[in-house]
Amino acid sequence: METADLTHHISRRFNEDLEKVRNQVLQMGGFVEQQLHKAITALVEGDSRLGESVATDDYKVNGMELSIDEECSRILAIRAPAAGDLRVIVAIIKTITDLERIGDEGEKIGYIASRLATMERPADKYREVKHLGRQVAQMVHDALDAFARMDSQAALKTAQEDKMVDEEYESIQRQCITFMMEDPRTIRRALEIMWIVRALERIGDHAKNICEYVIYMVHGKDIRHSSLEDVAKQIDAAHALMRR
Amino acid sequence: MWTFALARLAGILLLGLCAGLLIEPIWLWILGAACLYLAWQLLNLYRVDRWLRLRSQIDPPGIGGIWGDIIAQVIRLHRRKQYHKQRLVQLYRELRRSTAALPDGVIILSTQREIVWFNRQAARLLGLRRPVDVGLRIDNLIRAPEFARYLHGDDYSMPLVIRPPVQIDMFLALQMVPYGGGQSLLLVRDVTRQMRLEAMRKDFVANASHELRTPLTVISGYLDTLADDPSIDPAWGGPIKDMRAQAQRMNAIIADLLELSRLESADGEAAREPIDVPHMLERLHRDALISADRPRHVLLDLESSDGLYGTAHEIESAFTNLLVNALKYTQPEGTVRMRWWTDEEGAYFSVIDSGIGIPAEHIPRLTERFYRVDAGRSRGQGGSGLGLAIVKHALQRHGGWLDVQSTEGKGSTFTCHFPQQRIWKLQLRNAASA
Repeated sequence: METADLTHHISRRFNEDLEKVRNQVLQMGGFVEQQLHKAITALVEGDSRLGESVATDDYKVNGMELSIDEECSRILAIRAPAAGDLRVIVAIIKTITDLERIGDEGEKIGYIASRLATMERPADKYREVKHLGRQVAQMVHDALDAFARMDSQAALKTAQEDKMVDEEYESIQRQCITFMMEDPRTIRRALEIMWIVRALERIGDHAKNICEYVIYMVHGKDIRHSSLEDVAKQIDAAHALMRR
Repeated sequence: MWTFALARLAGILLLGLCAGLLIEPIWLWILGAACLYLAWQLLNLYRVDRWLRLRSQIDPPGIGGIWGDIIAQVIRLHRRKQYHKQRLVQLYRELRRSTAALPDGVIILSTQREIVWFNRQAARLLGLRRPVDVGLRIDNLIRAPEFARYLHGDDYSMPLVIRPPVQIDMFLALQMVPYGGGQSLLLVRDVTRQMRLEAMRKDFVANASHELRTPLTVISGYLDTLADDPSIDPAWGGPIKDMRAQAQRMNAIIADLLELSRLESADGEAAREPIDVPHMLERLHRDALISADRPRHVLLDLESSDGLYGTAHEIESAFTNLLVNALKYTQPEGTVRMRWWTDEEGAYFSVIDSGIGIPAEHIPRLTERFYRVDAGRSRGQGGSGLGLAIVKHALQRHGGWLDVQSTEGKGSTFTCHFPQQRIWKLQLRNAASA
């Protein structure tokens, strides 16, 4: 299905409604992305005020989720969409839940970052965490791009990156354990870092979920709980079919 | 040509008539001749039609007369069209090549803000992809909240600086240029270098001022001690007094520089703490009244009891700077009047003096750093030259602006404009205090 398919309805109002709600989702995504960037910057640069502002701005994400949710229920009730349109609405309802969770994790990171700003900073200035943060932020970005372009192949590629995020998470975890064993005075800080890294890893999972909804929206296949290799084969087959 | 064709038709009919006169019946002969003529013309028509259909494969039929004429005209028309088309294609190619070679990114947007076309630079800077992104709304791909606000606002006079979605170390300046038919161009420029330089300049000013502070404190400390030391030769009294005054001035300049660099580096809008402006102005008024060499009349007109949402010390430093300037440049017998009022559009603070005034050509440059209307005069008055720059930046952070009206010899009016959404309304204040 192409984006142009969203504009094929006889009822122009329906098209407008669908377009509008899709745009709202992407706007919400943009805000969440910004929150995530700010939270990571707050940690890396030890900016407690920035971290606090991330934490206090989270209510905006919640507000957006509520209004999109309501809009979706309205469309379901009034237009009773079917097939592709129904999938779009279902995917949107699920996507915003994950976006909201990403916002929550971002809030958590911002809050912890503002607390860490008052503590002594390690020599490496959180290089590993920064790297993981960038990786995760890029994943969220790519997932939203795939959503905007309705691009199932990009979505699949992004979903596969989650594995790398998980590996990075493991390695930082091990590093923290080493720090704690070497010098018990760092335990407090290392525990806080663990919270942040854990939140980033969760954000990666949510981004992966969004990618799965994109694939569901485009191909009508629910790929949750199935291996990504199988999905890749199916998507390639679907693309070959479309090209024919 | 046409007369020839008519003559031929007449000839054929005449031939038929003649044959009919010889052998009866006449009408059959004439009909036969007409049918023959018709069949011949139909055959020609068929050949022309076939040629038009398969023009690229077969040569034009070799018929003369009106048919030949028509064929020649068709060929001429076709050639002319071909020529124009080639020229257009060439022009289009050149345009595409030149826009592709532009160092800036260019995106053409439709009325619905959908991407119609973009060049290679835009694709590189913003991570756009061809052809999937054509037809998508631009704010679906550039999702920074500031950009959505800029795109759906109506003020495109200034470019918007954002960090691009692909490389977050960069800074991009985006500028909308609307043109005919509701379409618009979105220009994308890489301003990373400028932003870095600007940041370096700000850091330099802040660091230099900070570093100057410590030695200066030591110098003024010793000067204070020397001034009170009775064992010093009284002949040194004058120089020491001057040195103390100059050290104090340097201190004031450094304080202003630090304040300015702080205002500059604080990004975004000022916070929204409620400020009791009438109370603040009453305090400023009292302080002004007790100062030694003030003009005879220093008045305060509070026409509104509303306050502002903002950062209290920034607003206070803006108001103080305006008031101090007015006091400085007004003769002892003059008047300085402060006025605070609100209307539906916003809130205003004015300082009206009956001082020496400012020549019109200097007004637009007043808020520049270290700008002096009359170099000799204001140094004598001991200002830092940064006061109005501080006012401008503080107002900007509150969404406001400074308006200056002045007549030479009669006095000046400095007015701070604040937008309506910054007003802390009276009713809200009562509710908050209750």
